[in-house]
Amino acid sequence: MASAEPTHSSPGSNRALFALWALFWLLMIVVALQDLYDDDKLQWWEPLVWEGSSCVVATLWLLIERRAAQRWTQYLAQPWAWFARHLVWLPLVAVTFVVAVYAIRHGIYALTSETYEHEPWLYLLFYESVKLTLYIGLWLGIIFGLASFERWQVEREQLLTLQKHLAESQLAQLKAQLQPHFLFNALNTISSLMQVDVERADRLLTQLADLLRSSLLANTRDTTSLRDELKLLTMYAQIMQERFIGRVTLTWNVADDVLDALVPSMLLQPLLENAFKHGVECSRDPATIRITAERQGDDLSVTIYNSASSSPATPSNGIGLRNCRERLEVLYGARASLELARSADGVTAQLKLPFRTA
Amino acid sequence: MRILIVDDEAPARDKLRRWLAEHADVSLVGECADGLAAAASITATQPDAVFLDIQMPGMSGLEVAAQLETAQAPLLVFVTAFDEHAIKAFELNAIDYLLKPYDKDRLQKTLQRLRDRRAGAPAAGSAASAAIRTARAQTGASERLLVPHGEQLQLIEAASIHWLEADDNYVHVHTAQGSYLLRRTMSDLLTQLGERFMRIHKSTAVNITEVKSLSPLFKGDHEVLMRSGATLRLSRRYKDELFARIG
Repeated sequence: MASAEPTHSSPGSNRALFALWALFWLLMIVVALQDLYDDDKLQWWEPLVWEGSSCVVATLWLLIERRAAQRWTQYLAQPWAWFARHLVWLPLVAVTFVVAVYAIRHGIYALTSETYEHEPWLYLLFYESVKLTLYIGLWLGIIFGLASFERWQVEREQLLTLQKHLAESQLAQLKAQLQPHFLFNALNTISSLMQVDVERADRLLTQLADLLRSSLLANTRDTTSLRDELKLLTMYAQIMQERFIGRVTLTWNVADDVLDALVPSMLLQPLLENAFKHGVECSRDPATIRITAERQGDDLSVTIYNSASSSPATPSNGIGLRNCRERLEVLYGARASLELARSADGVTAQLKLPFRTA
Repeated sequence: MRILIVDDEAPARDKLRRWLAEHADVSLVGECADGLAAAASITATQPDAVFLDIQMPGMSGLEVAAQLETAQAPLLVFVTAFDEHAIKAFELNAIDYLLKPYDKDRLQKTLQRLRDRRAGAPAAGSAASAAIRTARAQTGASERLLVPHGEQLQLIEAASIHWLEADDNYVHVHTAQGSYLLRRTMSDLLTQLGERFMRIHKSTAVNITEVKSLSPLFKGDHEVLMRSGATLRLSRRYKDELFARIG
């Protein structure tokens, strides 16, 4: 998942962090200024020096942390590891903080010819370290929260993009295309017909052209009306009937109220192709193919039946069917189904999908 | 030149018949609409050449070719609309084929090649056997074997064959259902059936899965006991190979 990681913390989360940081120090300074009321001897600038020096040194450390932060991004999924990698720096931070802060304070007091009075050094180191640990804990918590949130957002966005691409490529891949085998055989039938019946050959050629045009158009959209899909099926069936002349009888049972229903484009054609392949091409006896479409409650039901002779079904029928199922899954989820039922005299492909109109 | 047309699609047969009729040196011996009929017709009519469609119900054109005895086969022209693998193999082995749809020019060229092959007689035989070898490479070892059954031909499962027995230019095929007599040579039949069968003697081959046990005889020969109860002789020449295969 290395590629999914943001290469550096985005300005977005840094801006939020520094805004909080500024707000925090403003609060600290305001609180410190309140001391002026309680202590008359205190000069007005003294609380500012105290908090200002702390603020300057702490900010330097925060900037260092920000620079190093990207190295620790990988540990965001394991909070303990992330905190541990920060906290090992605590002793160094504590010592440099106390030394630097008090050096600044002593320096400024010296410039104003005052003396800076404070507790003994050992006590001071202890007291400041405890205070520092508490504040660092608080800020690490905030930094961790902001970084985790940002990472979550980035990952979610990547995941969504990935899913979208996946679905798109799946759909593109699954969209059925006319098999080259069909095209060349159809052309051969036309070439043969041309010798005896020019008019019929011409009609068939026009149908093949219409079919090609429709299938190309179908690839540019996901769904189409059942009316258009049936038109395409009819063209396909007429060409196939000419090829297997006398070997197949087709029956259409389509209810009038389902013609406007939306169906995935070019989904039925491979099913009809299967029916021809296993019912007609593989059979030496005359075959029957029956196509029905009707409304069943909230569903549209389409079935394609083909008679099957005793010859064993070839296992190759799985791929086209699986493609159809995956397309249905992408488009309708669990709402659609495609089942293959074998009976004594044939095979029925049963398609069910939600009844929708444009 | 006596030609047989094999295609399951009537319009395709019509076209070929019509165009072949325009050639004076061509006579048609018949038309078949499926593989089984084609194999029977090839045996019965002994054509010089066959236009053999690849995609057909029952048996494909390649399967029909795989069943033919290499030495007696007619010249074959495979006809197909689209078959990437097979076409690559045809190109590679200089096998004659015709892509649908074709025009008169291409058919004329194919016929000319057939005439040329027939003119150089020994070359014709090698072209025919190359076609069959290529078809066998495409289909793999035959799972089914074409055997005569009365006046007709029928397909039996290769796995149901127990053993094969050579008899001059014939082979007895012994199965649980009985024996069939094929006009084939043992070596060509073994090439067609693949690894499942192994020669154990000059005139005998067994289906390896049908071997039950082996027992030694004198001079390094062995006796092979088949599951069916038959006992066969394993000669020294084939001993090591069979032992290696059986393990």
